[in-house]
Amino acid sequence: MKFLYVGATPEVERGALEAVRDRMAAEFGLPVRELALPPIDFAWDAARRQYGSAEVLEMLMRACPGDGIKLLGVTGRDLFIPVLTFVYGHAQLGGRVAAISLARLRQEFYGLPPNREVLLERARKEALHETGHVFGLVHCADRQCAMSLSTNVGQIDRKRDAFCAGCAARLGRRAQPPPKE
Amino acid sequence: MKTHWQILVVDDEEVMCESLAAWLREDGYQVDTASGGRTALDMARQRDYAIYFVDLKMPGGMDGIETMMQIRRLHPDASIIIITAYATVDTAITAMKEGAQEYIVKPCNPEEISLLVSRIIKVKNLQRENSILRKKLARQYCVHDVITKNSRMQQILTLAGEIASLRSTVLIQGESGTGKEMVARAIHSSGERAPKPFVAVSCAALAETLLESELFGHEKGAFTGANQQKRGKFEMADGGTLFLDEIGDISPKLQVDLLRVLQERTFYRVGGSEEVRVDVRVIAATHVDLQQAAAEGRFREDLFYRLNVIQIVIPPLRERREDIPLLAGHFVERLAHELGKDIAGLSDGALRILMDYDWPGNVRELENAVERAMVTCRGRNLEEGDFAFLAHNGAAKTWSVPAGMTMQEMEKRLIAATLQSTDGNIKKAAAVLDIDRSTLYEKMKRYEIER
Repeated sequence: MKFLYVGATPEVERGALEAVRDRMAAEFGLPVRELALPPIDFAWDAARRQYGSAEVLEMLMRACPGDGIKLLGVTGRDLFIPVLTFVYGHAQLGGRVAAISLARLRQEFYGLPPNREVLLERARKEALHETGHVFGLVHCADRQCAMSLSTNVGQIDRKRDAFCAGCAARLGRRAQPPPKE
Repeated sequence: MKTHWQILVVDDEEVMCESLAAWLREDGYQVDTASGGRTALDMARQRDYAIYFVDLKMPGGMDGIETMMQIRRLHPDASIIIITAYATVDTAITAMKEGAQEYIVKPCNPEEISLLVSRIIKVKNLQRENSILRKKLARQYCVHDVITKNSRMQQILTLAGEIASLRSTVLIQGESGTGKEMVARAIHSSGERAPKPFVAVSCAALAETLLESELFGHEKGAFTGANQQKRGKFEMADGGTLFLDEIGDISPKLQVDLLRVLQERTFYRVGGSEEVRVDVRVIAATHVDLQQAAAEGRFREDLFYRLNVIQIVIPPLRERREDIPLLAGHFVERLAHELGKDIAGLSDGALRILMDYDWPGNVRELENAVERAMVTCRGRNLEEGDFAFLAHNGAAKTWSVPAGMTMQEMEKRLIAATLQSTDGNIKKAAAVLDIDRSTLYEKMKRYEIER
């Protein structure tokens, strides 16, 4: 039996992990398992005062269990790639691991009062988005599809926490449940 | 239509290069990377990228500005975006002066890059669409527009180029859908007549009398409904080329008229008494074997020789299978723009199906098959399943009556084939043919058919 793994670093609240886990299980149709991940202090970049997502993906590669098809790591830290000011998430396109950051999904980040529901909804969408990349999906032109590119939270809020028919069909061919042994 | 655009990222810092490339790949672009100006130039020589991201500061004697200038020498229309970690007004001004389309400071805001790239690609898509539409509108195909690596086709194209400037009549033979008109247009537009009109007439589409007035025009009052004088296609094509498609289908009377025009270069309008002189090059095309038709008396031999000054025989697609991947790829690319679908190409399995199919309708059928597959395709590549309808077509391929044989010949062949299928059993064969056994014996004797 092969599993889709969802891992969280210590600072991530339990409810967020559960929300992501349940949405992934429903959308990908694969059995999902949880995984506890270590803190990502090793990825800290003092000059940028953020965490390097490439280093986080490397750690996830090592952490992914042998029976894991893919692993999505959830962190509360703000991630970046060298060329961009920040990323909501980062994935190996068509690879094995991906990560999402909750830091910029929180209303507080933009000076607004906290809203747990908004945070969980955004987390679910970004989890599907980055995991979609790991399954080989690229950005979708349908602004409502989870695979559409979001470069601000407004765009995340506009999309649904589901794939459009086209992306779902593409995914269906790649994420077949493994045959029972 | 992102998949058709390629991007080159040039930066000596590998992490920068790779992180930007990976981010753009997630957006669906095909991205290559180069670690320095020289490598970038080598790659730009191989192919023209839609967008070049070039880092300003690179070691090795070739900085971003120099790299950009060299790339622009190769591709004057290249869209180049200069990226730098150290923004100064001076470098920005220099970069823009030397033709950079944009200047961005890293780390950049994802929204900024995303908008920049989509804006450039939008313009590129419009430019591409514009050129496709223009070509379609003018239908000005030249020899280079014929896609082939088949040696027979290449000989044809060389010949087309050589004869383009002559006035000699050309006869193009080939099955339906092989591209006879495209070759005719290529001949026309490669020669000195290119600025003059290319007029195409399908001789099979019109009744004899209509075709006559269509070709030669008519005078006012020549026949009922001829309210005013009308110029024919010969006059319209004056100075240019007249393309007569399906020439094998014209009536004996028109064959005589045509022969006269080809010999004298003059003709009379229907109902007219004034001789009209024209300078027209005639290119005729047919899917039937005119030489055989002439030998059998169905087509005037003298007209055949008049037309057959230069003969071009276009091979059917099944005899130039090596062109199938090229043509299919070309259709996918063109139709992706026309249909607005982001489809990159064909899977190996899909290509295998296309290679194995017989293509009775030739290139036209291939184009239609690709279009049909693209309309229903939901992936980024055309897969085997998208061409399932071809297998169905193949199975339902109906037997067609080979025109050009006598009733007796037909009957003889049918009886022989039926006897073969019943292993020579007369009773069964008679039942299948729904005739008496004695009648069957009689016919077998008459046609000298063995059991």
